[in-house]
Amino acid sequence: MSVPLLVVDDSSFARKQVIRALPKGWDVEVSQAGDGEEALALIREGKGEVVLLDLTMPVMDGFAVLEAIKAQDLPAIVIVISGDIQPEAEARVMKLGALAFIKKPLDPDQLRQTLTDFGIYSV
Amino acid sequence: MTTEVLDEELRDCFQELSNIAVGRAANLLARLLNNFVIMPIPVVNLLERSELSMALSSIADAQSVSAVCQGFTGSKIAGEALLIFNDASFSDMAELTQFKGEISEQIELELLMDIANILIGACLKGLSEQIDVSFSQGQPYLLGQHINIDELMNRNGSSWKRLLTIELPYKLEGRNVNCDLLLLFTEDSLSVLRDKVSYLLE
Repeated sequence: MSVPLLVVDDSSFARKQVIRALPKGWDVEVSQAGDGEEALALIREGKGEVVLLDLTMPVMDGFAVLEAIKAQDLPAIVIVISGDIQPEAEARVMKLGALAFIKKPLDPDQLRQTLTDFGIYSV
Repeated sequence: MTTEVLDEELRDCFQELSNIAVGRAANLLARLLNNFVIMPIPVVNLLERSELSMALSSIADAQSVSAVCQGFTGSKIAGEALLIFNDASFSDMAELTQFKGEISEQIELELLMDIANILIGACLKGLSEQIDVSFSQGQPYLLGQHINIDELMNRNGSSWKRLLTIELPYKLEGRNVNCDLLLLFTEDSLSVLRDKVSYLLE
């Protein structure tokens, strides 16, 4: 069965890059959200079992999304992909329950390795 | 001469490239000041020069600002970076840099130049690396201290009529520090930039 995967970024250009970087042949059903509120709505609909989440977004940012997932105990595994490379940003998202933090610009090999390491994707 | 347009796809692309560049600059600033930086959402526009001061959304309310300007060129791209500080920011800035004593105009100028060097340099480097160009930067110079935004924009004397603008409003968490980094590109630079990012948009 394909994995419901949600790509969250305010930039459609960035979402495209993330989707392009997904491992080839990985059986996923991709949904997209342009801000945190959209993302949470889709997660509640079951479309974000795995979430690739940007941090800097209007309306509701990635930190707030992680807080909501934690507070409401939503079924989502979150990997943050962000240009906010402050060590404190990474520390905060890990504390909020993110599985991993990947810096932008996104390296497809690093994404595949991270997904593999956590058993989310296997060849 | 053809008039350049900035379509949504290109605007979005510049916004994301800027986002990655400002992330690096924010990281350096956070380390320098030992304070978390709230990442700005870049605002990208193509504007008439006369519209510029109105477009400065984040700092428009400031009654008094100080600013430095630094030109840059490279690979047929030309522009200016402006760092604009709300003057109300200086007391917190001085505290964060462990400065003790009276905050004179000279001290404010030093703070402004130090932050400008870090933010402008890191931001331009972050941008240029992603689009594979190299910029050479001119000397930064003071545009003015304790003036209002309109006066500031009059002093920024470049004669370009239309500009590609990228506004990056930085804030420090828990601090009363507001500054705006403004990257201005000539209209002619836009077509060069479009070529440089075209491979990303395929």
